[in-house]
Amino acid sequence: MISLENVTKKYGMTTAVDDVSYNVDRGECFALLGPNGAGKTTIVRMILGFSHPTRGRISIGGIAAGKPASRKKIGYLAESHRIPPYLSGRQYLMRHASFCGLGGASAKRAVGDIIELVGMAGNENRKASAYSKGMVQRIGLGAALLGGPELLVLDEPVSGLDPLGMRDVRVILEEFRNNGTTIVLNSHLLSEVERICDTAAIMNKGRILMKNSISKIVRANETLEDVFIRLVEVKSARR
Amino acid sequence: MINLIRIAFYTIKDQMRQKSFYLLLAVAVLFILLIRSCYHGDYSVNGQKLDNVSVAWHASLLVFHVIAGGMFLMTSMLSMGVFSRDSDDGSLVMFLSRPVGRWQYVLGRILGIWLLSTAFMFVLHLTIFIIVFVNTGGMITGYLTASLLCSINLLFAIVLTCFLSLILPNFMSAIFTIIIIAISFISDGAYQAMHSTLVRMFVSGEGTVATWRIYYPKVYMVQNYASTLISNKQFEAMGETNLWLNMGLYTTALAAIMLLDFSRREI
Repeated sequence: MISLENVTKKYGMTTAVDDVSYNVDRGECFALLGPNGAGKTTIVRMILGFSHPTRGRISIGGIAAGKPASRKKIGYLAESHRIPPYLSGRQYLMRHASFCGLGGASAKRAVGDIIELVGMAGNENRKASAYSKGMVQRIGLGAALLGGPELLVLDEPVSGLDPLGMRDVRVILEEFRNNGTTIVLNSHLLSEVERICDTAAIMNKGRILMKNSISKIVRANETLEDVFIRLVEVKSARR
Repeated sequence: MINLIRIAFYTIKDQMRQKSFYLLLAVAVLFILLIRSCYHGDYSVNGQKLDNVSVAWHASLLVFHVIAGGMFLMTSMLSMGVFSRDSDDGSLVMFLSRPVGRWQYVLGRILGIWLLSTAFMFVLHLTIFIIVFVNTGGMITGYLTASLLCSINLLFAIVLTCFLSLILPNFMSAIFTIIIIAISFISDGAYQAMHSTLVRMFVSGEGTVATWRIYYPKVYMVQNYASTLISNKQFEAMGETNLWLNMGLYTTALAAIMLLDFSRREI
């Protein structure tokens, strides 16, 4: 579904992503983990075509990242999601629906369902300027889920959500994963990742330290958090 | 193509959502309605009383230029922050996370502002047209066609402001656009004034025209050409083809550079 081949991204003298290669298979739930500045968001932005690799190639379903066709079946939630303040949640979702090829009654129905799904019923007609961070995040997640995406790219999806919201997101993602949607999850919440994802890559300073299935990464009597800290601290100390 | 039209539609909708847009429209219409008094006065030149139709015609021609000129200010204001605002409020990510090409986004925004500005200017010119009709019973032929022709200038102003806003702060991009257009008015306006019948009665001989003035954007000339549709005078300042070629090339070139720059940008 997603293929990264020797992808490098440099900003001037700084290397944000350093020769990264991996594949995400169709139906896989893949987590991209790493401390701040590891290059996770840069990779996500390159997958969406917001940023161009300095070297290497990224393709989604065989189409080069950046081409509009590659985003046809992608649902995306940005790290600090923003909604134009003059739009209501419903209007925002209706706009997304129109670009998903939904129109008229089918768009209204799909948006109505999504509003229910992300728990925004009753607040959907308020202007985004009156939304809390959690509400913005819920609407953003709703936008990503619209139109039945084959690939969900979620950058810190539970950021700003309370524990109940986090649980809701987890339930939604598990449902989509079980329906065969490919998910790329970029998160700091390792306990959530451990529960949702099949595979993970741990990154630090632009490089992938480890990529494997979660069951192989986490040994007995260990959590993903233990492995993450051990791996990132050891590599940081060596450098 | 459908995405481009959709973005243009959202652009119009978003601009019309702002209260300042209606305030501006109300102020402009009020200004025009105040001009109504011009059509009722008694005017005489060299002791001869002018008829109502003649006064209305001259006043309308003057107001035509004032409106067309004032619209540059409005279009620059509308266009100057379009990209940075979209980047700040999440609109840019909203559009580009969907199967929308960057060129579709840029051209959609430009098309939206252009259609809105053209409609705005047309409403103002239409108001004048109706006032003249109500007060004198006469219709100024070519007035509304001239208004639509002036929209070519608005397109140039929008593309120029958007282009400059990629390299300059928003307000500076609007100021620079106004300066570039003002230079066209001063340069070509002065040239035309020097070649008017009145001035030629006192001044003889041909001055040389600097090369930059020949190739400079012919914003003033487009407006002047449009006004000849109202005055029914021959447009003699330059060849018509050169005029359209000049404005077409500048607008296309600026748009092409802007699209190239935008396609390489980090969002």
